Amino acid sequence: MAILRATQGSARHPRIERLADFASRWAFMTPASVILLAMLAYPIIYTIEISFSELDLSTFTATNWVGWDNYAEVLQDERFWASLKVTGIYLGLALPLQMVLGFAIAYLVNVEWTGRGVIRALFLIPMVVAPVVAGGVWRMLLDPLYGLTNYALGFVGLGPYDWLGNPTLAMMTIVIIDTWRWTPFIVLIATAAILALPRDIFEAAEIDGANWWTTLWSITLPLLLPMIAATFVVRWLGAVKMFDIALASTNGGPGASTQVINLFIYEEAFHSLKFAESAAMAVLVLIATMVLTALFLRGSRMLEEMH
Amino acid sequence: MTVTVSLTGRRRRAHVGRSLRIAGGITASLLFLFPVFWMILTSFKQQRDIFTTPPTFLFTPTLETYITYLQRGIIPYQMLNTVIVAFGAGIISIVAGSMAGYALSRLKIRGATFIGVLILMSRGVPPIALAVPMFLVGRSLGLIDKHIILILAYCTFLIPYVMWLMRGFFMALPKELEESAMIDGCSHFGAFFKIIVPISLPGLLSTLIFCVILAWEELLFAIVLTSRNASTIPVAIAGIAGDTVNGANWGALTAVGTLTVIPVVIFAMLVQKWLIQGLADGAVKG
Repeated sequence: MAILRATQGSARHPRIERLADFASRWAFMTPASVILLAMLAYPIIYTIEISFSELDLSTFTATNWVGWDNYAEVLQDERFWASLKVTGIYLGLALPLQMVLGFAIAYLVNVEWTGRGVIRALFLIPMVVAPVVAGGVWRMLLDPLYGLTNYALGFVGLGPYDWLGNPTLAMMTIVIIDTWRWTPFIVLIATAAILALPRDIFEAAEIDGANWWTTLWSITLPLLLPMIAATFVVRWLGAVKMFDIALASTNGGPGASTQVINLFIYEEAFHSLKFAESAAMAVLVLIATMVLTALFLRGSRMLEEMH
Repeated sequence: MTVTVSLTGRRRRAHVGRSLRIAGGITASLLFLFPVFWMILTSFKQQRDIFTTPPTFLFTPTLETYITYLQRGIIPYQMLNTVIVAFGAGIISIVAGSMAGYALSRLKIRGATFIGVLILMSRGVPPIALAVPMFLVGRSLGLIDKHIILILAYCTFLIPYVMWLMRGFFMALPKELEESAMIDGCSHFGAFFKIIVPISLPGLLSTLIFCVILAWEELLFAIVLTSRNASTIPVAIAGIAGDTVNGANWGALTAVGTLTVIPVVIFAMLVQKWLIQGLADGAVKG
């Protein structure tokens, strides 16, 4: 293309021509780069700076360099570790549950019949309910006194449960709400993935007399594996930031039993005004997330190459 | 023929399996829809119908809660803020993001792969790590509680998202399109705005709707960077849901919740085909 343009504007100096071409290519990157440098890169650098400083609360600016003090304080804070543990438990329960449910429901939904499109469209609805609305509405559904959940469970002789008052059940509550909100997202991705599978393999398997379990276990799942891994990474990146559902449903309680790390950092920064310690925690979480994400991506690439 | 005969028993079993799967799919979708249904139902109840044991399905519907909350309080104002911020962030992101996505996919930018890795990594940045410095800097610049800071904050996750989706979208377009335009004397800008944008309009529009939805429901930046003037509906809902002083106001929660969800559901239904495709692409390639 450069050649084409050069011959066209042969009267102009080829060097200037090339420079103009280079500039116009990069001009496309400029708006995005400027915004992301100012709003993404700079804040990260500033967070790192604050994490090594003392913050003057009268001017809200970082003042004295204090070295690793903030980090030492954070690492000795039991509440920080407790909050990481809560986040770990939430992720360990919610992610596998959502993956299994999502792909299982997608399998059910993918039968060819007239209503398939409608069913798929219906799964879009929970997915666009704002997480904070989901948290609030589920808080109402799980209310021990007037909630519908305990009423329904009463029919099968269970409960009543104090969903929001008991630490273990409160964690369950968070997982249930998160699963309700995010499983449809996985269903939709999984549906597209299943539809994209090559059909002839399944026809061949049927003719060979393979039963559905063998087909599922030795054909469908291996073929879907790269997609499952990719979906997992996307979902992980979302779940690790979870904040709104916990805030709206349990607000971290009872005690700190559902205080996920983002909620804890938020409270420390904006309610206790410990900005420097919060910045140190944010940097630690950032690093941990990056390392784990890189590992997951590595894993998913490996799966992709294996098949 | 012999194959068909030997398969009839299997076919019948497969038929039963098929019906079971359909029934399972319908049940699952209804279960997932129920909380939304219950929210809408509750929003039309009077206070005395909300707090009943057992919960009631039959009642005289009323618009009382809606009228109360739309007439007084700052809910309508917060709705307007949400619209301004969501569309503002969406439009800026779609313009900046699609231009960058085009550069990455077509213009042989040096380091395009590296930029791709950076985009992916940006998705791992916890918003709280951005919210703390944004609050501190925004405060000294007098930008706190202004629409613009929230709009720009949302761009941090929307632009990388648009870049990634549109990069994939542009890569799938035939190269001859711009090549012929360039022969006709178009610059890169001319080719992009006159040729590429018009034929990518459906993709751009649905990506915009995606962005609006994501910005519409964001809570963390909104709660940190705004207090009254620019505060959005998710902040209002968090306030209602977390109001421990006056007790749970389920009427307000469900009415405001319904008003928040309805427009987004309509949007989502309008572009459902694209939405599903975009989700799948975002997952595979992102």
